[in-house]
Amino acid sequence: MEKKVKLADCGSTWTKILDVESDSLEIITTREMVQRNDPPFDIATGHSAKKRCGKFKNELLALAEGALSLVDKDDFSIVDVGGRDIKYIRFKGGKVKKIDWNLACGATTGATIELLAKYYEIDLSSLGSVDTWINVTCGVFGMERVLESVSSGESPERSVAEFIHGMVRNVFNFTQRPSELYLSGGFCDNKCFLDSMDKYCKTIPLGRAVLIEGLKEK
Amino acid sequence: MKNLKSKKLIGYYGFPRRSTLRSARERFGRDLEFVDLDVALGAPDSRVIQTTTCRITANIVDNAIELSRNIVAIVADVGEGKCDRGRYAAFLLREAGFNVIESRFPPEEFEDRSLVYSTSEGSLAERVDRIMGTVIHPSSSVDQTRACSPTHGFWGVPPHDFRILDIFPPTTHIYGWTRCVEAGNPGDLEMECYVDKNVPTVFFTQSFCAKQDLAHHLAEKHDGLFVDCHRNVNNSILSKVEAFIKLS
Repeated sequence: MEKKVKLADCGSTWTKILDVESDSLEIITTREMVQRNDPPFDIATGHSAKKRCGKFKNELLALAEGALSLVDKDDFSIVDVGGRDIKYIRFKGGKVKKIDWNLACGATTGATIELLAKYYEIDLSSLGSVDTWINVTCGVFGMERVLESVSSGESPERSVAEFIHGMVRNVFNFTQRPSELYLSGGFCDNKCFLDSMDKYCKTIPLGRAVLIEGLKEK
Repeated sequence: MKNLKSKKLIGYYGFPRRSTLRSARERFGRDLEFVDLDVALGAPDSRVIQTTTCRITANIVDNAIELSRNIVAIVADVGEGKCDRGRYAAFLLREAGFNVIESRFPPEEFEDRSLVYSTSEGSLAERVDRIMGTVIHPSSSVDQTRACSPTHGFWGVPPHDFRILDIFPPTTHIYGWTRCVEAGNPGDLEMECYVDKNVPTVFFTQSFCAKQDLAHHLAEKHDGLFVDCHRNVNNSILSKVEAFIKLS
């Protein structure tokens, strides 16, 4: 029996697994992936992948190759907003012009939004954007601001929307304030995030499988 | 650290004036060995300064405290070639009972020495190490070096954790403060800001270091990569640098 080829992007909070033969994408929590006793992935990327795959690919390299496969342009910028980091690449003439990877300040913001939504029982799929924001230096400082805002009488929904707006401002500045930006990762499904991004630049969501696309052997 | 504990030592940090280093030896003993307190020597946390401090400054204080029975004097670079934290470290060490000799390297004494290690081919970690050796031995042998054109650049101070240097190709040129040290021009801001145009360069600083502002500015200006790191490097930082080297 022929072995199924599995590619995976194992992030800090979510894992995306592609069965190449059936072209089916499975998205599970990384907590579940760690607990499952699956055989190692054939090729994988992401913080949680290194000891769980036959061949590991650097996240930024996967993002770069995935972006070039999916975007039919020579000059563009892409950002991947993850659970604990933000990766950015600007292409010029089809070549990498600038890369950056925010690992410290500004980090863990994605995971923090999930924690806050769970704690306040907020449905992120229907949360609207707001014009005001709070400063989100990092996940911990941002969460402290949300807790303070709710304590002061603001609704949890508005406080979390302000957190998301603050995070969007960080992303916009981190990506050097582009007029158009391709977005990769779980925030492609977050209406509040997308609406907040549109206040600053045209944002084109590419979905959660951009890094997986970059793992495919051409 | 262990082999240092059987000797009497003169500690130093930054790039003190050569004349001050010489006179310290004349005063305290011509045979005394110098020890660079900036370096990660494996000293335990002395708890003298807070944890959110530049790791190099923490090394200075932790190493001095750990070697307090061995160190007869500390020659402290408290000028523009170092930083305010280095100046305050001198004060703290004096308060802790050390014999501290302050040094400021004036521009009139800049040496404009030829660059050898900064522009040659070979292990980046070894070349950075050799450059730092020139603070004490400015005329060390350079027979084995061969100049090369740069494919990449490393800008910054010698890191606390040298593992980050191991992923750079041998054709990496050295810029920033480390280059200034090889030239004998500590505190030369113009030289510190120089990088070769179109050479993809990593601008490195320790976290909580004032050079973060300069590194970030230069990385934006030259489309380089800004990297800061507290204590030891982690896999994420190594991956970030690895990706930059491969993609640029």
